[in-house]
Amino acid sequence: MIIRNKDKIHSPDTIKQHFEGLGYICSDAIATSVYLACHLQKPILVEGPPGVGKTELAKKASELLSAPLIRMQCYEGLDEAKALYEWKYGKQLLYTQLLKDQLGDVMRGAKGLDESVTRLHQFGDIFYSDEFLEPRPLLEALRAEDGAILLIDEIDKADQEFEAFLLELLSDYQISIPELGTIKAKSSPIVFLTSNNTRELSDALKRRCLHLYIPFPCKEIEQKIITAQVPELNEQLKQQLVAFIGELRDMALKKVPAVSETIDWARALLLLNVDNLDHDWIKNTLNLLLKFQDDIEAVEPEINNLLKAVAKQV
Amino acid sequence: MQKVLGDFIHALRQAGLPISSAETLDALKAAQLTGIENGPLLRQALGMTLSKRLEHRLIHDQMFDQYFNAYEHLEQSDDPNLSASDKPQPAGRPEAAPATVDNRAAADAAGAINSPLARQLSPLAQQLMGGDMSAMQVMIASAGTGAGAQQITFNTQIPVVTYRVMQALGGSELQQDLAAMAKDDENSALVQLLRQRRTQLQQQIRDYVEQQYLLFNQNEALRLREDKLQKIRLTNIDLSNYKLMGELVRKAAKRLASMHSRRRRMTRRGLLDVRRTIAANAAYDGFLFHTKWKSTRIERPEVIVICDVSGSVSQVARFLLLFLYCLQDVLPRVRSFVFSSEMAEVTELFASKDMDEALADVLKRWGNAPTHYGKALADFEQMALTDIDNKTTVIMLGDARNNNEDGNIPVWQKVYRQSQRVLWLNPEGSLSWDTGDSIMNQYAPYCSHIETCNSLRDLNRILGSELKRNT
Repeated sequence: MIIRNKDKIHSPDTIKQHFEGLGYICSDAIATSVYLACHLQKPILVEGPPGVGKTELAKKASELLSAPLIRMQCYEGLDEAKALYEWKYGKQLLYTQLLKDQLGDVMRGAKGLDESVTRLHQFGDIFYSDEFLEPRPLLEALRAEDGAILLIDEIDKADQEFEAFLLELLSDYQISIPELGTIKAKSSPIVFLTSNNTRELSDALKRRCLHLYIPFPCKEIEQKIITAQVPELNEQLKQQLVAFIGELRDMALKKVPAVSETIDWARALLLLNVDNLDHDWIKNTLNLLLKFQDDIEAVEPEINNLLKAVAKQV
Repeated sequence: MQKVLGDFIHALRQAGLPISSAETLDALKAAQLTGIENGPLLRQALGMTLSKRLEHRLIHDQMFDQYFNAYEHLEQSDDPNLSASDKPQPAGRPEAAPATVDNRAAADAAGAINSPLARQLSPLAQQLMGGDMSAMQVMIASAGTGAGAQQITFNTQIPVVTYRVMQALGGSELQQDLAAMAKDDENSALVQLLRQRRTQLQQQIRDYVEQQYLLFNQNEALRLREDKLQKIRLTNIDLSNYKLMGELVRKAAKRLASMHSRRRRMTRRGLLDVRRTIAANAAYDGFLFHTKWKSTRIERPEVIVICDVSGSVSQVARFLLLFLYCLQDVLPRVRSFVFSSEMAEVTELFASKDMDEALADVLKRWGNAPTHYGKALADFEQMALTDIDNKTTVIMLGDARNNNEDGNIPVWQKVYRQSQRVLWLNPEGSLSWDTGDSIMNQYAPYCSHIETCNSLRDLNRILGSELKRNT
């Protein structure tokens, strides 16, 4: 996968340009992290406030490298059976039932228990072979012929035991299955782990990863993002919008609007045919930006002041 | 490059970043990939491999600028020196006036180098006349290591080490030479040049030592202070250290919470959960494929903390409150109460206000009044007694000095019966319990554990072991 896409990832700048071509505007830090991850074969741990494009980064990386994206959403109680592999119990059961007669044939003529068992052993572990193995995301990523992008989303939601279990995968790209032995990746996947920081991740995990923190984008980048996502929006409104969001982020809110909310808002304003940001429009569409009633109530009386501040900047 | 990066990583470790050797290797590989010419790129690459937390990243970026700027500065600073002495300055440039003097002196000196007098001079003087400043820099570095520039702990040591480096380079011989030459008027140009170069050299040494101090040991002093503060009795800490102490308390509370806040499940292997096994295997025609085992889920600890903020414990109360505040910040299920004579719940207050404001508020409203445990406990009975169950840990922070009032022991007894554990942390040493108006002995039978707690280290140890037992 790396070799195939050598020209696309030969420097952070080219990665950045290619990402821009795919509609993902990123900072230098993000491009550098992808560059290092590809060349050093290391997982990236992506942290940052919700809605700044952590998951999107993995999706775009898979587009860039034209590799399949294998996504695993973490949650409390996630275990090996759901993340790595499981045996197809139903199929095993069905086959033993269907093969009952065959087994009878095989066993016919065997004298005593010893011989029967010996004959059975000659067939090997048919029921614990690949056909009965149900691969889950991690195993799928390891088995992908041509490499894959593995996205382990919201790792902080999983239990600590699971985090420890991931360590082998992250450092050596291999995993041990008791019945089959160690499975090594055919072509090392590029792993993205995202975290919202609901709990502190272990040092062992962090040690194995590159660490990328994506903050809220600066004004220029945010304007570029909107240009890429909502190209029809006029220039003046775009500047006002980004400046307004910037002002909101400086306020003490429960949840400040993220990039995804900015994009939603821009789309909504376009749909409503707004061409100049004014008090009424903001008031009516504020619920797109703020997700708590408390926040909305805090911002509403401030709208005029915020607009004045925006007018100064634009 | 390895040496440069190695030193940089050493400096980062000194600044408190936990960098493992595996990460060092990663950083080296990354640096090889990016090359060290492109500053911003290298900064990002090193940042990603060496710092794994946002706050560490900020430290890293700051250190990077400091370190590599100093590094570049060193290389550049050699050049002007060289050009001033070796290359003739183009005439007519306005700023060239002092340089020409220097040049003439240098020319004189160049003439003098081969004179019999010059050969008698000390090696340092000869080198200074030669004007090879980059070679000087190398010598400063090696003498600096000998003089312990990297082990400076306090910035007051800088002049001493600077002096030591100068001596190691041969400063006293130079001084003698200068004194000898000054007697003869013929040498005045040479003496002037040497004096000038010596001042330059001194500045260069000082810069070097300061830079070493900044890079390697700036945080050493802070660490020493932190270490002391951990051990010192809370009553003896003055307000000037309050801010640093706040940081320490916050760190301690965070560490405790991250260790104990997760819910753990303990499997009691060997006990088959028959009901769940049958239910899980209904799909397989009753064949028991999936076995389900009994397990016990350990809940997060539920903690109620009561803090005495009356006059007698006012010195300690500040820190106890600080700890309380931080604990509530990081542990999800803590309820906090404060009292002098009346008790009040401050959980909401802590949650809504920031630390300084909340503490000031608490101390203003409830602090420094005379203590009345009996009344406070009566209030507590009303407010929270019904919420205490066998999962709750109750922690009391107070000295049990009750101004000879009624202690209302039965309430405390009820608390003890209902809760899982009652912990009393007394800021006074056990010898002063029950002296004067202290009624520790009356409460003692209804506490699972009583401890003296008068330093941050105590607080840390006790709460740590308690939380561990709880989970």
